[in-house]
Amino acid sequence: MSGGWRVGVDVGGTFTDVVAVHGAHRDARVAKVPSRSDDRVAGLLAALRAVGLDWTDVEDLVHGTTLVTNAIVEDDLADVALIATRGFSDTLDIGRQNRRHLYRLDLPPKPAPQVPAGRRFEVSERLDHDGRVLAAMDPRLVEDTLRQVEDSGAEAVAVSLLHSYANPAHEEALGERLRARCPFVALSNRINPEAREYERTATTALSAGVMPLAASYLDRLEAAKPAGSRLHLFHSAGGMASPEALRELPLGLAASGPAAGVAAAGRVAADLGIGHAISFDMGGTTTDVCLVFDGEAQISSDRSLGDRPLRQPMVAVESIGAGGGSVARLDHGALAVGPESAGADPGPACYARGGDRPTVSDANLVLGYMDSERVIGGDIRLDPGAARAVVAPLASAMDMTVEEAAFGIVRVANATMLRALRRVTVERGIDGRRCTLLAFGGAGPMHAVELARAFSIATVVIPAHSSVFSALGCAGAGMSYSQQRTLRMAVDAWDAARLDRVRRALKSRLAAPLVAAGCREGEVEVEEVAAIRYCGQSYAIEIADAPFDDPHRLTRAFLDRHRALYGFATEEPWELVSIRLRVSAPSTDGPRPPASRGSTESPESTGSAGEASAVRTLPCTFGTGGPVPTPRHARAHLVAGRALAGPVVVEDEWSTVVVPPGATLVADKAGHLHIATGVNA
Amino acid sequence: MNPTGNTSAAVDPVTLEVIRNALSATAEEMSLVVMRSARSPLLREAGDLSSALTDADGHLIAQGRDIPMHLGVMSFTVREFLKRVPKARLAPGDVWFLNLPEVGGNHLPDVKAIRPVFVDGTVVAFAVNLAHWADIGGAVPGSYVAGAVDAWQEGLRIPPFRLFDAVGPVRENLDMVLANVRGAQEREGDILAQMAATRGAEEQLQRIFAEHGADTVLAAIAAIHDRAEAQMREALAAIPDGVYAGEDWLDDDAAQGGPVAVRVRVTVAGDRATFDFSDTADAARGPVNTTPFIAAASVFYVVKALFGPDIQPSGGCYRPLEIVTRPGSLLDPGPERPVVGGNHETSQRVADAVFRALEPTGPERLSAGGPTTSGLVLFGGRRADGAWTTFYETHGGGEGARHDRDGAPVVRVHMSNVMNTPAEVVEAEYPIRVERQRLRSGSGGAGRHRGGAGLHRAYRVLCDDMSVTTMFERRVVPPYGLQGGEPGAPFRVTVVRADDSRLDLPGKANIRLDRDDVVIVESCGGGGYGSPEAAGSERRPAGDSSAGDSMTTGGTM
Repeated sequence: MSGGWRVGVDVGGTFTDVVAVHGAHRDARVAKVPSRSDDRVAGLLAALRAVGLDWTDVEDLVHGTTLVTNAIVEDDLADVALIATRGFSDTLDIGRQNRRHLYRLDLPPKPAPQVPAGRRFEVSERLDHDGRVLAAMDPRLVEDTLRQVEDSGAEAVAVSLLHSYANPAHEEALGERLRARCPFVALSNRINPEAREYERTATTALSAGVMPLAASYLDRLEAAKPAGSRLHLFHSAGGMASPEALRELPLGLAASGPAAGVAAAGRVAADLGIGHAISFDMGGTTTDVCLVFDGEAQISSDRSLGDRPLRQPMVAVESIGAGGGSVARLDHGALAVGPESAGADPGPACYARGGDRPTVSDANLVLGYMDSERVIGGDIRLDPGAARAVVAPLASAMDMTVEEAAFGIVRVANATMLRALRRVTVERGIDGRRCTLLAFGGAGPMHAVELARAFSIATVVIPAHSSVFSALGCAGAGMSYSQQRTLRMAVDAWDAARLDRVRRALKSRLAAPLVAAGCREGEVEVEEVAAIRYCGQSYAIEIADAPFDDPHRLTRAFLDRHRALYGFATEEPWELVSIRLRVSAPSTDGPRPPASRGSTESPESTGSAGEASAVRTLPCTFGTGGPVPTPRHARAHLVAGRALAGPVVVEDEWSTVVVPPGATLVADKAGHLHIATGVNA
Repeated sequence: MNPTGNTSAAVDPVTLEVIRNALSATAEEMSLVVMRSARSPLLREAGDLSSALTDADGHLIAQGRDIPMHLGVMSFTVREFLKRVPKARLAPGDVWFLNLPEVGGNHLPDVKAIRPVFVDGTVVAFAVNLAHWADIGGAVPGSYVAGAVDAWQEGLRIPPFRLFDAVGPVRENLDMVLANVRGAQEREGDILAQMAATRGAEEQLQRIFAEHGADTVLAAIAAIHDRAEAQMREALAAIPDGVYAGEDWLDDDAAQGGPVAVRVRVTVAGDRATFDFSDTADAARGPVNTTPFIAAASVFYVVKALFGPDIQPSGGCYRPLEIVTRPGSLLDPGPERPVVGGNHETSQRVADAVFRALEPTGPERLSAGGPTTSGLVLFGGRRADGAWTTFYETHGGGEGARHDRDGAPVVRVHMSNVMNTPAEVVEAEYPIRVERQRLRSGSGGAGRHRGGAGLHRAYRVLCDDMSVTTMFERRVVPPYGLQGGEPGAPFRVTVVRADDSRLDLPGKANIRLDRDDVVIVESCGGGGYGSPEAAGSERRPAGDSSAGDSMTTGGTM
């Protein structure tokens, strides 16, 4: 029998993070081990061993993985056959006819179609946009097509018929016959029941392209899993899903890791009563930010990955190419940082692995933020001399000291990341200055306060376990499934019966895996989001907890939101374009984010602040004033409730929190660090 | 055409980059707001809009990642606006709208919203949004009057006109505009979206000025111009000194006349260049004329694409460029000539002429001829409920091949980057059925590398009375091959009537359609690159369009 542990494991490209919690223990066990791309299951077992567990000790394991993300980004997809409506099999070539690069003639203007012409097939059938059958499907002709599909040697089949979102009958009929011949079949009405044929077809083909890979990994995982232990994976929309559900919808894993981090941020925000938060996860090459509203990560239904559209509900993470490895250079009198990155190899110059260009990490080391005596990633020793040597030429070109130039690099990197913060807030009509910045990941806590100041944000929170935050999100996950469906119902043609039918069908489909897992159907929690626009508008506004039963209240909610977003609203007719449902298992008092080790054992705040727990004092540079002595504290030894005035640095095993002069840090009992940036909101 | 003054007070490289980032973000966000809140599909689906910020004198300082043609034009709009409306007449809260081509413009449907941004009572910058209105009045729905022979037939001409002030909409002015365009309700939504976008930009600009101080921001703006000038000079210096001549041809003058020449003489001397279009044909009778601003936008695009993709567009870019157009010519026709199609057709022809002039500087930099036409087909009529509807669709074609790769299928090149409207959206919103959309097989020109395939898309009319307008090129003069490559198949639009009779539509036409008529659009293929024999590739005739011609009838697909 299992030993009652609940474990979150997030397998990233470089590291695998683990958080294990147990009802009988007050502390979480936390570890970070190198990932193993050669044998992912072995890597997972090693991660469990790192927290002293065998899989048989684990009651619930929730797992985030980059498996699917990497396959898409690296174009490592299965050979897919595509079946389309007669006349529409070139949709992937045609796309939206726009080009990616406005001024780059040398680069291909669009990605090559995922499915080459030789594996694209057509069937005679036709629906209209209301789902009416204009031409029935001819079973005899279909048989020929199916034979051709089989002969094409494809490993998986995608079916995307015109207007199938309005009537799935033809796709379903094809699907039934296909499944007898091929284990991997993706139907567009199931993968993405929304209008616009290119995006739906591309999403469906992509889903088919990762099905075999996902299935084989899930098979191996389940074979390794002891009986009696439960296994779930963290999905892109911010919840956990069963392996069975993900076999059919493997794109649910496309943003698994980032979604888990954002979900943990949502939980922390809810616990702390933070209404508007922005999660900020800065890594080596990219930075992810996401708006978290009343503890809920914002969801987007229209994104792309590796140049391919991916239309699935996913946490609305805005990713930008800026991180610790971003390279700085002078370009015609301006200091540019990124998008070019030194990556992991050779990495920043200070890694002493052959990097010879100045990066953000080098700047952080020059400024004294990173401790040159620490070993990162098991075997990397930081070389401050190398960092200074690569920043120095920039400094002399800008007529600055090396520290000033380093600070400049950090400021410009922050300005780039600020654009991502602005984007996620402007898109949703939120005043970013009212948000709290929730910073985690490797480099997030180092940049958070200066970044927050640049955006006039008053408060930064570095949550407990910030360096294994995605694993923490996995450990605290509840089960949920969500999907969006096109409806197109104008307010003056309101059809309450149809709406009710669609909502119930969607709910029962989404709830099926929950019911299979032992939930009673009547108990699942349902959140419904309405996407509404004025008739004729394209982008709909999302209304959470939409009052579908009362079109008048729905009208008011829409007008209020439109006014908040765009500053105006008119009395014109509107239409309900689509609905998105999320069903989740009833919230038990599931595991909360566990407290971090040190703080709970510490007494309440007494006595004078600061120096007592400082390990030592080293010079750090903030702004242009030159180095100042800065005490460095071990995060585990901070005393809850005791304020530390900047300049101060707080370190744990994997990350560094920088508190510049003018800012003040307080740890709470749960181990979260609250920093007042000094900006008045 | 140059921003005045080119010395910038000291601003350090860090602050410069921080401010530049903030300004670019502000411009990008304007377009986001318009796309998300505008009413017409052209803006929301196709993204036919652009946004920019200018300095207090109207010189471009930042732009969104939008459409090269618009952005080039907006380098001039505010400067020309200020010649008509002195700054003393501007007040906080104003939003001025205008569309006159001669006021830093291009054609009537592209309406610019200009908001002066005040800091401490002084205009410090302008926020500008350009949006293509689906209708601007005139003789036909959609305002593409193929037979227009003067400017007034093309629709409502808006000189600088204040539609909003500090209080809100200037109702009578707004009503004046709305009374002269079809689909007033939809237009009002678009106008509000443009207003909202410029207001967001104003708030953000004021924040930037408050944060850094006016002196620093102004110094950064001056440095942005200087920097762009330096980048442009480097690009020009990379072109060997000399005189280069190039030409390309419009299919016709849109009024029964034959092909019309666009000619350029490029003189490069060190880090300066002159682009002289004096030998271009006289102004056309039909609506293929365009403005000197469009000519400048095309020149800027080509130089950036060939020699400096990283040049930051700003007023400073134009300092080392001299662009000469001859009054009375196709590119400088004066305010009375029709221009609606010249905007996207002749602009592309200018770009093609400049590309071909510069071929001797290194053909491997160029692409063979591509779909340098909007491929515009516009359906207009009344819906069943009586409301006016216009469906404006551009059709991309095959990209020209390059020295190292084949051309891509169905894409927009050079001056435009407008998206298509998905078949599922067309059918849900208009009385039209898309019978098929496929690659037009065999349409790419042969060559060592082959041109990309064009598009074959067929539209069936599902209502009793509809007008269709065409405005496309490359029907007579096909996309050229390079270095011995074959040309691509020319553009073709055919109407198949319910009685099976076929009509090959001219490139600029307005005709009426009946229920069950089918309009088949076959967009041009790209030109090939290099001699086909060199590659041993089989030489297929350009434009054998086997898949395209078979018609299905009825709704039996």
